[in-house]
Amino acid sequence: MATQQASTETTSARLEEIFISSNRIQELSEAEDIEDMESKSPEPLHQQMAHLDLIEQPLRDNLVTQSSELQDETLAAILPFLTDNPFGFELNSYGIPKLQRSKHIAFLHNALGKYPPQFAVMDAARPWLLYWSLQGLTCLREDVSDYRERVTYTFSACQHPTGGFGGGHGQLPHLAASYAAVLSLVIVGGEESYEMIDRKAMWHFMGNMKQPDGGFTMAPGGEEDIRGAFCAMVIITLLNLPLELPPNSPARVKGDETFLTNLPEWVSRCQSFEGGISSAPGNEAHGAYAFCALGCLCLIGEPSTTLPKYLSIPPLLSWLSSRQTSPEGGFQGRTNKLVDGCYSHWVGGCWALIEAALSSPNTSATSSNNCLWNRAALVRWILSCCQGKKGGLRDKPGKHPDAYHTCYNLAGLSAAQHHYVYLPERNTGLDEGPLAAAFKWDVADGGVGEEDKRVWDEEDEVRVVHPVFVVPWGQAEKCRGYFERKEGF
Amino acid sequence: MSKYSDDPAWSDIVPLPQDDGGPNPLAAIAYKDEYSEAMSYLRAVMAENEMSERVLGLTEHIISMNPAHYTVWLYRAKCLFTLSSDLKAEIAWLNPTALKHLKNYQIWHHRQTIIEKLDSADGEVTFISSMLEADSKNYHVWSYRQWLVRRFDLWHEGELEAVEGMLKEDVRNNSAWNHRWFVVFGNEKMEGVDDGVLEREMDYAKAAIYMTPQNQSPWNYLRGLLRYAKLPASTLKEFALEFASPEKPDEVHSSHALDLLADIYAEEENKKEAEKALDLLAKRFDPIRANYWNYRKSLLELPAAAS
Ligand SMILES: [Zn+2]
Repeated sequence: MATQQASTETTSARLEEIFISSNRIQELSEAEDIEDMESKSPEPLHQQMAHLDLIEQPLRDNLVTQSSELQDETLAAILPFLTDNPFGFELNSYGIPKLQRSKHIAFLHNALGKYPPQFAVMDAARPWLLYWSLQGLTCLREDVSDYRERVTYTFSACQHPTGGFGGGHGQLPHLAASYAAVLSLVIVGGEESYEMIDRKAMWHFMGNMKQPDGGFTMAPGGEEDIRGAFCAMVIITLLNLPLELPPNSPARVKGDETFLTNLPEWVSRCQSFEGGISSAPGNEAHGAYAFCALGCLCLIGEPSTTLPKYLSIPPLLSWLSSRQTSPEGGFQGRTNKLVDGCYSHWVGGCWALIEAALSSPNTSATSSNNCLWNRAALVRWILSCCQGKKGGLRDKPGKHPDAYHTCYNLAGLSAAQHHYVYLPERNTGLDEGPLAAAFKWDVADGGVGEEDKRVWDEEDEVRVVHPVFVVPWGQAEKCRGYFERKEGF
Repeated sequence: MSKYSDDPAWSDIVPLPQDDGGPNPLAAIAYKDEYSEAMSYLRAVMAENEMSERVLGLTEHIISMNPAHYTVWLYRAKCLFTLSSDLKAEIAWLNPTALKHLKNYQIWHHRQTIIEKLDSADGEVTFISSMLEADSKNYHVWSYRQWLVRRFDLWHEGELEAVEGMLKEDVRNNSAWNHRWFVVFGNEKMEGVDDGVLEREMDYAKAAIYMTPQNQSPWNYLRGLLRYAKLPASTLKEFALEFASPEKPDEVHSSHALDLLADIYAEEENKKEAEKALDLLAKRFDPIRANYWNYRKSLLELPAAAS
């Protein structure tokens, strides 16, 4: 049985913010923390804590509003975790709680298990539970190949006869469910996993979602937003689907030819006056949508070409940079909102993509210390504030851990611990077709700068994650290669 | 007693139980009997593409148990349209449901689908306002509001006043700032705005900054105005100097003013002052972003044309 907190309140909230977190207004005094505060750490953290200077807030306005009150309450709940060690975790050599690897592993195995009846609100999100758990486990260096058979048949029940995956048996196909399903199958890998996907039907489903204005809807009759654009391009790339639109596509009927027609232009329209990216043109800039936009453009072409071509970089950079909160060190999703562990990935994951866009092509690994953000502060935030006492990672102190925040905190941790370079000339052994761009990344760990600003030991390190696909390093290439070698559908 | 299998009105339907794909599916949910029975009937009617009053009742029942079930919502909408149901009644039913499930994605999309078909925005703004009172930064509600304004041409129907009311309540509400931008500049059919509007918006953002100099929302708004009107950053030099100066590091009231000043000095090719401003940010007023500020400093080395 899943031992995660099973209150309807948290589960429905989890489901309702599938893919993006909505920073709910919530009281911060939940039982778990208060209980756990009693077990004090053996040594006071602040005496050896790295980068204590970041805890100051040099500039503050006096005017009190709802936003500032909420921010102050939140910070009050967070500060003990930044300056002390309320859960009594063992500390690493920098005076920061160690990564509680075995607890998180147990938590995620458990998240793949059975759920009690009140989790019925997660019924449409089971593909996500699989993806978050499997991705989190591999991040923690856990071998998940034992799950292969169960993953494969669990998703066989979710596959829709007309193409794509839904949340479960008999549910309509949905791009988010399809994304989670394909990534899960890529993570466990192997022929039986790949072959269970009906690619021809998937191609038709994708064609149905492609809209005449260039974007994608999430489901038949569903909403059109930038998640659709990203999820669709991830699936098309990994499964090596034909770029031509199938005849049934509403965009094809209008005269468009490929999945790429007007797509980057549509993504471009989502950049708001703030410089960040919104779910659809006109809406508010938001961290999760920023990752979708950058990811989508990095699938379509080389980052140093597509990003500056379709986005205005200086305001984007300024906006992304502003999302890292001080003193917490984590990221918020929007201007004047609260820090939240899942943005460790949604915003933290943007940096590799935008740094690649700014560096000139074919620069060697040595230029990778050209870092634009604060990796140490993010690692400190994740390890100090987001680890649940009994395993799993969370939004922030006061919240319960869940698979979603565990997955994306760990992906953010990986983004902070590893350096990527983009090598347009990299020989991948894959076809040099139109969607080859996402396979040109390389890891440039070792010999890079920032050593003086590290706050983690080797045992706190997690695995390298593919910066666009967000699956374990190497798995995306295997899947793409498999389908390149395959004749027809 | 089972709700459907014991009901003669459903006796013609053979329920379709859930196929889990294998003996030990992952993340399986131990559904209550009531939920799995209703879902089995939904699968059966969807397989037959049945559109009927009883199906509407079935979807309502499932929604009450799981409002996050996108399939049920999408099928319900299709059913309502096929049966030419009373869509106003649908909206009236949705109102309390939406208030109960504030963060639900599906409800808002369903509402949008119904209102689109109804072709009338009557009462919607009032309803949205009551939702925003409960949750002033709700992304779905704001996105829906933006859709509504665009769809029904509500640009001049009190939106600006509504936003002003919300910003008066909380000048840090960035969602409200975004909506202000949308209302003033978001109409794609409009060809630019006149100077009076631009000046009004500048003044509005400046007034907010006087109240809260460290509030990034109005600074972003000001920056947006500069880019929109293609004005040089130096347009705001005097204003920015009211909140910070690289020459008076002990009298800095806003890191955002320093940021803007750095751009202004760079524009004036006054590299020394720009560096001073960026150093103050990196070392004293915004050290968490030191790497970013140092990157900005490195751009000063590039020829002016490239920056
Ligand atoms: Zn979150």
